[in-house]
Amino acid sequence: MQKLLTILAFYKPFVIWSFLVNIAITIVNPYIVPAIVTKLMLTIFVWYFVNETNAKRKLIFYNNLGISSIRLFSVMFLIDIFITIGYLILIKEYI
Amino acid sequence: MILEIDNVELYFKNKAILNGIYLKAETGKVTGILGSNGCGKSCLLQIVFGSLKPKYKLVRIDNKPILKPLYQTGWVKFLPQHALIPKNLSFKHVFKLYEVNWQEFVATFEEFMGCEVYKSKHLSGGQVRLIETYITLKSESKIVLLDEPFSHLAPLHIEKIIDLIEEEKVKKAIIITDHFYNNIIEVSDDIYLFKNGASKFINHLLELEDYKYLSQGSLT
Repeated sequence: MQKLLTILAFYKPFVIWSFLVNIAITIVNPYIVPAIVTKLMLTIFVWYFVNETNAKRKLIFYNNLGISSIRLFSVMFLIDIFITIGYLILIKEYI
Repeated sequence: MILEIDNVELYFKNKAILNGIYLKAETGKVTGILGSNGCGKSCLLQIVFGSLKPKYKLVRIDNKPILKPLYQTGWVKFLPQHALIPKNLSFKHVFKLYEVNWQEFVATFEEFMGCEVYKSKHLSGGQVRLIETYITLKSESKIVLLDEPFSHLAPLHIEKIIDLIEEEKVKKAIIITDHFYNNIIEVSDDIYLFKNGASKFINHLLELEDYKYLSQGSLT
């Protein structure tokens, strides 16, 4: 539970960006599979960017709690996908 | 518990940074690392923690090799040289995640009373550093790695942090490095000097002058 709370804290600054991407997906191609692929590509990009730059330092706060960067990003991806699918199902009711 | 690290070889673009390191830390002792700028002190702490991969390394705990990054065992807490606490989290949230009691903290550092809801951007660099050092020391762990914990701290706070280190070392192995060599000498039970990529165990403080880490007469 403590680790999930920590990952949610890591996810917090990405929420707005994720929501903006959801709006873009809604406009361009509001289907679940393309949305998952888009979010997967974006997560891999952010993970690569963080690992290859000084932003990697920021992960030590989470590493101290026993969470590896791969677990951090993969659980964040799953949380985000869960929210995205919920959002798309909801929005399709109005399209 | 005994932590040992040896066979470390670290290169940055073919330049050898570390190539002859042996270091031992154990529960009940503070192990200090001294050395000039760029000698690899911080790199070694990152290697022990598992956030920096050298060409070779061997980390052992009680003689058993640890093959995965040490942080994944959950036994270690690391205070890096740079900022530790994310800017978007309140101190209340940080203390909760690290399972450290805020009330105990303000009992020692009264000036932080009421700052629980603040984020790191609301306090000075020294105040944030103090909080980072405190949570690293007080959070549950078997090994604590402190990289420049005294940087930006007021003298009175340094004294309190030294007291805290003395208190926590009873149940933890602590490795510490800083450029405030007087504080490192004061707080450490064992001292290693890093020079030319290798570590030297310091048996007598005057060796720090012999190895030209300190100028002659600095310690008298």
